[in-house]
Amino acid sequence: MTVLGWLTALGLVAGLVMDFGIAPREMTQGNVQRIMYVHVPAVWVAYLAFIVGLIGSIAYLARRRPGADRIAHAACEVGTVFLGVNIATGAIWGKPTWGTWWTWDARLTSVSVVFVMFLAYLLLRGAIDDEERAARYSAVLGIVAALNIPLVHFSVYWWRTLHQPPSLLKPGSSTMPPVILTALLVSFAALALLGAYFIVRRARVLALEQEALA
Amino acid sequence: MPDNWSFVAAAYGLAAVVFIAYGRWLRRREHELTALSASRAHSQAVRSDNTQAVRSDNSQAVRSDNSQAVRSDNTPRSQPLSETGHPRPEPSKRPPLQ
Repeated sequence: MTVLGWLTALGLVAGLVMDFGIAPREMTQGNVQRIMYVHVPAVWVAYLAFIVGLIGSIAYLARRRPGADRIAHAACEVGTVFLGVNIATGAIWGKPTWGTWWTWDARLTSVSVVFVMFLAYLLLRGAIDDEERAARYSAVLGIVAALNIPLVHFSVYWWRTLHQPPSLLKPGSSTMPPVILTALLVSFAALALLGAYFIVRRARVLALEQEALA
Repeated sequence: MPDNWSFVAAAYGLAAVVFIAYGRWLRRREHELTALSASRAHSQAVRSDNTQAVRSDNSQAVRSDNSQAVRSDNTPRSQPLSETGHPRPEPSKRPPLQ
């Protein structure tokens, strides 16, 4: 875990150097575009964490192993933290760019529905005293919530939205300049390492909590 | 378009605050739980040591009682043992009172 911690710290430093030192000022948006180096990787890490949570939840329902439930719980919690950062940084970017902090377009609405569903997941876990029942119910909710991720991703194609369509996670090659793409990918790697570090630590804390309750 | 550095600083600052706060909370919780499990293990060890000590005290006492008994069995008697098993010899065999 110490190795992962140091790699994360190194990745974050590299990400900041790329975001502010190497990536140029964007021509149309200006420097406010640099917010994208946090906003976009944060939602990718959240998606990955929710997919880990989905796999953990299915594994728990199939095998009833507490380890799978701990991984699912940790991943969903960390994913919620990253999704919260994504929504907040998006609002901060939206004000100078769109002229509003928030608008109820399809992408923003669908992502906030997913965020609320994962908040409900965390509340449900805390609301039920019986460990086994809490794990079972929240596994079902975690699966339902994670199945909404494609809806979030494709919402910009299915409905008319203010939010722009994806620049990278789409068929065909990227239209981004290589230096901006590199900065985005380095930031994504750094935040992915941070997400993995948090999930490992949270799963360990959950194991210790279960030991303490036993 | 203006640079809006304050928005950039706000976004990065907010992300940093959230991640640092979450990381610190995880570390604090882990330390608390590790300390709790360590103190539990310590108190369990002390309790088992005490039980061991009491048990060994008891067994030592029993052993010392037994050895006392053995010793008292081996001590030379001032009177010959009674044939009937009575603690005192038969009246006819008692030495005269002095």
